[in-house]
Amino acid sequence: MTDRSLLRAIGWYRTPIIAIGLLASLLFFVPFLVVVATSWTSGSFILFPPTGFSLQWYETVLTDRQWLNSFWLSVVVAVISTVAAVLLGTLGALGLTRIRSRALQRWVRTLFIAPIALPPIAYAVGLWSVDRRLPFLDDTLVSLVVGETLLAVPYVFALVSSGLAGTDPSLRPAASTLGASWPMILWRIELPPLLPSILGGALFAFTVVFDEVVLSVLLLPPGTQTLPLKMFTASQEAFSPELTAASTMVSLLAILVLGGAQLASNRRNRAARLRRKASA
Amino acid sequence: MSTTTAPPEHAAPADRHEPGRNRAEARWLLWPPLAFFVVALGVPLAALVLRALDNETGGNSFTAALTMPVFLDALGRTVLMAAVVTALTVLLGTAYATAVAVSPGWLKMLLIAALLLSLWTSIMVRTFGWMLLELPRGAIFWLGGNLGLMDEPLGIYQTAVAMYPAMVAVMLPFAVLPITSALAAIDREQLNAAAVFGAGPLLTFRTIIRPAITPAMISGGVLVFVMALGFYVTPLLLGGPANMTVSGVISGQLRTAGRPDLGAAMSILLVGGTIAIYLVADRLFKVSEKWG
Repeated sequence: MTDRSLLRAIGWYRTPIIAIGLLASLLFFVPFLVVVATSWTSGSFILFPPTGFSLQWYETVLTDRQWLNSFWLSVVVAVISTVAAVLLGTLGALGLTRIRSRALQRWVRTLFIAPIALPPIAYAVGLWSVDRRLPFLDDTLVSLVVGETLLAVPYVFALVSSGLAGTDPSLRPAASTLGASWPMILWRIELPPLLPSILGGALFAFTVVFDEVVLSVLLLPPGTQTLPLKMFTASQEAFSPELTAASTMVSLLAILVLGGAQLASNRRNRAARLRRKASA
Repeated sequence: MSTTTAPPEHAAPADRHEPGRNRAEARWLLWPPLAFFVVALGVPLAALVLRALDNETGGNSFTAALTMPVFLDALGRTVLMAAVVTALTVLLGTAYATAVAVSPGWLKMLLIAALLLSLWTSIMVRTFGWMLLELPRGAIFWLGGNLGLMDEPLGIYQTAVAMYPAMVAVMLPFAVLPITSALAAIDREQLNAAAVFGAGPLLTFRTIIRPAITPAMISGGVLVFVMALGFYVTPLLLGGPANMTVSGVISGQLRTAGRPDLGAAMSILLVGGTIAIYLVADRLFKVSEKWG
């Protein structure tokens, strides 16, 4: 499925461009492969090339309560924040289509995307200052979850908005003319075709929150750590193969889950295309 | 709808019958997220301002921050890093997106796999990879030694230069993705026509491809620049304590220096700067519309 028109337009520049692309892809592959390689060392230091082969560091991580607790804390925070971000982002994307004024629409859209531009450390200091003023929030996960939700909303909003752009705009007025109430239209007409975008947004939001470290640096109650924070502090204290073993495992998990989701959605798209072709 | 006069923008006919219902609908849908934004964004920003004004030493935290050499150095370093990383990322991202579009099957798969690997693995893990590469006796040294190019340990780790390649690698997908969709949206007939009439690659690039992808390059670039300004982990781990960016200095004010008022003042300067840049760029280049 090479792009013939673009190929012809680019002419002999194709080879150098592909060469640059391949070199750039090394920026993605090489650091990851180095992390994986150092994790199976049989020595007790992070060394490249690794000395010998053993899975002892995987065993160490998997039997260490601290690593496991931090993993589960990350999962809990990410699940709660994802659910909230999916609700808020989807409502926002749907609400945006109801705004008549173009200027207002632009402002609302800017507002929903803006958290991407928000420097996380500065935002974390803000949430931390709220905690100092409201002591009952100390030792809870409230400010962390609220903060992570805000950082995740833009991704859900963007994906659902682009999903909305691909739906038929005349369905809603048609259903309304036939007398359906707006909550019913929302539930029966608008949401079903958006489901793939919403799921995609949820997955993206989960990944963002799960990997986010800056808010947890300042906001976690003492004695608790999310997985990225545990990795961050471990990298500053003792740089042991535990760290790269944990990194490898969590990356493989992400690749399996996200890759599986990608394959499933590709298959669904292909099936939908075939159905359309069959009915045409 | 067959009207002879130009119809107004896709105003749904049913909405015109019952504007009241439409407004109720907008209210129900938009209120929860907007209320959340007030609580989650407005309250912390207000707390930040109060915190910055609440100076134990009686001075003004903002002037104190702006006259601190550590902060000013970090600011210069951060802006320079963000600018260089943005320029490199956009150039490389354009080449990468084009390479994905014109590669034969298996190479295309390889390039897409690299991109997905980067998107799916955490920034923390990717930063560790760069640490292991850049350590004095790390992977680059090993490779250089085996090729006979290097016999001195590498001196790049924990210098200002060390964060550049890692930052480019972390930011690259944010430039590649919008440019890929802009390339896919170019009218193929226009490209074919250019080829039929004998336009060379450079002329086609100048007249068709570049104008079509410029908005995507700009919106990707703005996003990368703004995100790079606030980046924390990668510059901190690779640049080390001697080459901190603004984010590192802010966290230092809270975690070690015990001056949260200064940290809050610096945070306000950082938030104000990035959001101002983002808003201006958004007005000029419609960055959020490329996303939403």
